[in-house]
Amino acid sequence: MSKRRMFLKMITASLLRRKSRMLTALLSVAVGATILAGLVTVYVDVPRQMAASFRSYGANMLLMPGENTVLNQQSVDAALSLISEEKLQGASPYRYVYTEFMGNQTGEGKYSSQLRFMTAGTSFENVQKTSPYFAVEGRYPEAQREALVGKNAASTIGAKLGGSVRIAYDRTELVEIEETQTELQGSAPGYYDAEVSVTVILNSDGTIKTVAMDLSRQTPFRVAGMTTSSFTDTYGIAHAESFTDQFTGKQLPLTLSTSENDPDEYIDAVSGATASSKAVVDAVNAALPVGTQTDTQQITNTERAAMSFTVSGILETGGEEEDYIYISLRDMEAITNEKDRFDVVELSVAGSSEELNALANEISENTGLECRLVKRVTKSEASVLGKLQALVFLVTLVVLVLTMISVSTTMTAVVSERRKEIGLRKALGASDNSIRAEFLGEGLFLGLLGGAIGALLGYVFALVVSRQVFGSDLQFNFALVPATIIVSMLVSALSCLIPVKRAVAIDPALVLKGE
Amino acid sequence: MSLLEIKHVSKIYGELKALDDVSLTVEKGEWIAIMGPSGSGKSTMMNIIGCMDKPTSGQVLLDGMDISRESGKKLTEIRRDKIGLIFQQFHMVSYLTAVENVMVSQYYHSMPDESEALEALDRVGLKQRARHLPSQLSGGEQQRVCVARALINHPELILADEPTGNLDEANENIVLDLFRQLHREGTTLIVVTHDPEVGEAAQRMIVLEHGRVAKEVVNESFQA
Repeated sequence: MSKRRMFLKMITASLLRRKSRMLTALLSVAVGATILAGLVTVYVDVPRQMAASFRSYGANMLLMPGENTVLNQQSVDAALSLISEEKLQGASPYRYVYTEFMGNQTGEGKYSSQLRFMTAGTSFENVQKTSPYFAVEGRYPEAQREALVGKNAASTIGAKLGGSVRIAYDRTELVEIEETQTELQGSAPGYYDAEVSVTVILNSDGTIKTVAMDLSRQTPFRVAGMTTSSFTDTYGIAHAESFTDQFTGKQLPLTLSTSENDPDEYIDAVSGATASSKAVVDAVNAALPVGTQTDTQQITNTERAAMSFTVSGILETGGEEEDYIYISLRDMEAITNEKDRFDVVELSVAGSSEELNALANEISENTGLECRLVKRVTKSEASVLGKLQALVFLVTLVVLVLTMISVSTTMTAVVSERRKEIGLRKALGASDNSIRAEFLGEGLFLGLLGGAIGALLGYVFALVVSRQVFGSDLQFNFALVPATIIVSMLVSALSCLIPVKRAVAIDPALVLKGE
Repeated sequence: MSLLEIKHVSKIYGELKALDDVSLTVEKGEWIAIMGPSGSGKSTMMNIIGCMDKPTSGQVLLDGMDISRESGKKLTEIRRDKIGLIFQQFHMVSYLTAVENVMVSQYYHSMPDESEALEALDRVGLKQRARHLPSQLSGGEQQRVCVARALINHPELILADEPTGNLDEANENIVLDLFRQLHREGTTLIVVTHDPEVGEAAQRMIVLEHGRVAKEVVNESFQA
């Protein structure tokens, strides 16, 4: 038999044949290891569990249109494909528009009141996933033309559950209008008969758009009729906006005003430059068409659409959502006459804030959409998570220390119980190192056994905690088994240091005294 | 050269002189008994011979080595290599079987060898009981296991502390017979006892009183 086998034989015999002692020590190690493994399992699993729990506080990620990318079904699908299925807890598209609430009809096209409200089109099925905190009195809209009205909005407009609200939306449309403009040119003699020439652009309705004037032959002195110091511009009246701006919008022919009582259609002369002013007006009146030019203009067309909705539910959230009216996406498309367009998609995604950050960046880069985290949610999540983990860590530490104390006490008891045996071993020639090795060996063996038991019981413990606290199962973490065993062995070995020191100090001579 | 030479050894505990200028020589193969009432210095003598204590003054040579000056670690080695110990209270490792108890001694000395350990048990007539735990053995049987354990590493000296103190007469005789057998084989035996019968079994009796050698009796009727 080799020395090592004898060593193992002695250690195992010591533990297996002295059952009660061993069980006490094993129990303390196993209990410690159980709590340790359980807490670590919970510790490791907490972020996942908490992420799921936190989802009930609303979406933590937002998708918005990018600079060059619109938010529609296609771009949203592209973004969602980047999120793994198990992590995505929900996605709700929203389309927000300003609408007017129309009060009771008092006559043909007449209503008792008109109030502006934000109306949101969304998918109620998804909203229930991303915003589980929505408290709905009544029920979510199911059929067409049903609305969920925020509590504030409802009280403002006096909407009742089961009642009806009429919402009006101004469909606006940008229309491009092409206009043909006529260019005219003319001239007339001005001050000292020096020629003044003008270029006039006429709108298609005959009104003047602009008048450009060339007064280069009129000296500043002559033009202004005043000192050059107060009229620094060389071509005085041509650049005096109060004069040039008068032309826009007026109809030909023009009349130069000579008195303060003249009507508004007249062109006021620049005082002190009446001759030049008159020359400009004459030139404009004498101007003849020289050509046409086309100008494109954008005009907003507004068309009002109104729809009645049955109030299927009143929404209470304690937040701004209470000011909104929610309708289905389909109804929204009908009222706005716009298809496949969202303003924001709220996402509920499980993960640590680092993971979410990385994911948001990935989505932003790959889809061109703007993907942002709802900091209010992710930050508080990270903070609570941090605190919880710190707490679990602390408890784990305390348990480790308690386990050490417990094992140490047991081993100390074992040493004093076995004083005679240790003395005998020393008398038989055991070196201090042999004694150390034997007791540490027993400690490590206890750690091994207790750790293995603890790893399994710890999982059960964690499972119970998980079910009780988070209401969900957790996966068995195989890596935790060797980790628990190693930690248990380390703790046991550390716990044995003091008892071993005592064991080494035992005097072998005690076996000789015939006590 | 003598196996054991004790020269003017004193051991003083505070005011108490446990041993007072004791000298004693033991030859190889000799069987001696150290006797005396309690407090006579027997135990102290035994501790010093057994390399578990050191004298305050004087010199002790065991097999030519000065065990009165060696360090604790060296003393452990000398004890392991030269001395086989037998105790009044047997002192077996309670959770190991008889043969395993013998092997513990081999383990600290050199290599555990089960067949050799069984042979040693056979010598003390306990081969059949080799797999029994101490709790399953009688006192006499336990002491025989201890004799086997003391022999297993072929020590220069067997040091027995009241080996029959806890035994009935029948078992005492068995143990004494074993000693006689060992003596015949040339083993040096030092037996510390207060039992005259055990003392008289030896070749020579050293009687201690108040830490001094009071008398030395050679057993004329000793038969090898």
